[in-house]
Amino acid sequence: MSDMVTRTVRLTAPPDTVDTVHDLLDALWPSVPDVSARDRMSLDTAIIELAANVIQHANRGKPITATLTVIAFPDRIEATLSDSGEVGEVDIEGRSMPAADELAESGRGIALMKALVDTVEHRRVDGFNHWTLVREREQVRQPDAPPRHLPSVSISGIIDEMARQRALEEMGILDSPPEDRFDRVTRLAKQLFGVGGAKINLIDGDRQWSKSTAGYGDEVVPRDKAVCAVTIEDDRTFVVQDLLADPLLADRGVPGEVEFYAGHPLQAPGGERIGALCVYDGKPRQFSEREKEMLRDLADWVQQELTASHELSRAAEVQQGLLPQSLISMPDWDIAGMCLPARAVGGDFYDWYPVGEGAAITLADTMGKGIGSAIIAATVRAVLRSAARFGDVAGAVDLAAASLNADLDTTGLFVTLLHGRLDMDSGEFTYVDAGHGLTVVARRDGAIERLRSHTPPLGVDLETEWQSHSVILNPGDVLVTASDGLLDLYDGTLDALDKIGALALLASTSAEVTDAVRARARGVAPDDVTVVVVRRDG
Amino acid sequence: MKIDMVDGPGGVVVLKPEGRLNMVAAPAVREAVSSIVDSGRSRVAVDLSGVEFIDSSGLGALISGLKTTRQAGGDLRIAGANDQVKLVLSLTNLERVLTPYDTVENAYGDA
Repeated sequence: MSDMVTRTVRLTAPPDTVDTVHDLLDALWPSVPDVSARDRMSLDTAIIELAANVIQHANRGKPITATLTVIAFPDRIEATLSDSGEVGEVDIEGRSMPAADELAESGRGIALMKALVDTVEHRRVDGFNHWTLVREREQVRQPDAPPRHLPSVSISGIIDEMARQRALEEMGILDSPPEDRFDRVTRLAKQLFGVGGAKINLIDGDRQWSKSTAGYGDEVVPRDKAVCAVTIEDDRTFVVQDLLADPLLADRGVPGEVEFYAGHPLQAPGGERIGALCVYDGKPRQFSEREKEMLRDLADWVQQELTASHELSRAAEVQQGLLPQSLISMPDWDIAGMCLPARAVGGDFYDWYPVGEGAAITLADTMGKGIGSAIIAATVRAVLRSAARFGDVAGAVDLAAASLNADLDTTGLFVTLLHGRLDMDSGEFTYVDAGHGLTVVARRDGAIERLRSHTPPLGVDLETEWQSHSVILNPGDVLVTASDGLLDLYDGTLDALDKIGALALLASTSAEVTDAVRARARGVAPDDVTVVVVRRDG
Repeated sequence: MKIDMVDGPGGVVVLKPEGRLNMVAAPAVREAVSSIVDSGRSRVAVDLSGVEFIDSSGLGALISGLKTTRQAGGDLRIAGANDQVKLVLSLTNLERVLTPYDTVENAYGDA
């Protein structure tokens, strides 16, 4: 809209003061067409009161940052100030003007704001205070003024939209591949209502993206052409019998494809409306109360699936958090690892931690994928960590195997494992390989040696006697161990290990190797992919 | 903020602040009035003709001055207020205690 004027300023106080805000306002007004002296005066005063209030009270001496945005619409002017101050509840309603003869020196700010503008609002969202002031402009109050089109954007709308967009992004569902659990719902909806199409749509920034489509329709539609973008403005079912006959919605319809529309909003776990389940048809039709009810039930189902994905992605965060975050400080050694589960969570993990004059290093692969494997993987990690504090490498694996055997037996799972200890001075790596067999040492001169596996996986044979072996890593040598998901990224054979060993010799840091594998695996790995690289500089 | 201080007629001290009378400038106004009272005088006229803007902090400073001068047996009066200052005085119901006079001369015209 051409006669909408927006100005934004970021404040950091100290050193910024209300004078910074004054300067913004002085620069704003010449750009606003036909602003009356009274409107200008009232807004100047109210906005300065607000800024002063925030700067003065927000953080009691701690610096604050704030963003002030002023939007002048043809019919009203809105200002919002978002600040980082720690304010609890603000009683805007209850603030009245102190009596004049009390001669109070303070306490008039909020009452004055209320007297100057039509709306004073305070909300706390995501740890920020959002203050909104709105003043209707004087000129449009005149009864003879022609009606103006009100733009749908408003500042409180912008704040809601920010929260909505963040909730949507946190769900991590945007641009994800089709999933049968959602497609099942749209297929059913299409059949149930006998319509041309059904979709699960998510409203993302300025576009609508379809997570699932039964029937026809584009995967991406501009937001201002999407009917679901209107549906999410309210929490009720939205039905339009004939889009083309509705002057406000006609440009969102498609003749012969989308003339009828019914949609019900979908909420994120926090209640933000992130999209809608909708059905549509190429010709106008009725939609009964009973049909509305059924659509709502289906939308509830979709919402449950969305929440389940959300919880799964939280589980994924927890699992990633179990991987070693920091490097251990070992002069002349460089260790890096990566773990990319095929699904949200997986059965692979790697681990390292200081032990004596060196480090314990583990890479394990639980049979299977998904949540069940992930739970066992977390258990294996915990048991090995505590067992590693006692005895030697073989003793640790023996202790861990003994405590895990019952669990593995019950679940019918087994775990392949490389667990070793590196002596940082001598370069000796002492390890137990339990059915893993996916470890190579790339020598400085280019030779690649595979470390043999001598014992079966954990959970296979209770009578196994765990034996350790050792290999010396000399300066310039690199040890690489991986899960079998790595093989799938190459030709599926053990030759992949030689390739990764050769790559490790060319790379100048361990992280370069893990980054290269991550890039190769992204989006294509059918199985969990985990790699640990240990190089001795020199 | 720049504050001029001159002796006016009848022992009145005229304070003339310039610019924005907000939370940044308010302390200077309080101090100016205090220094006048400390020097043994208590009749103050604040010439607001150079003030383009006032907020509740600025008002607070004027009220503080009003109390300080009255306790010393004098008064604080204001003159030359622009429309914005008058609007704020009116909305805060302070016109009665801080009556805006047209000019400094009129402020103590009754004296």
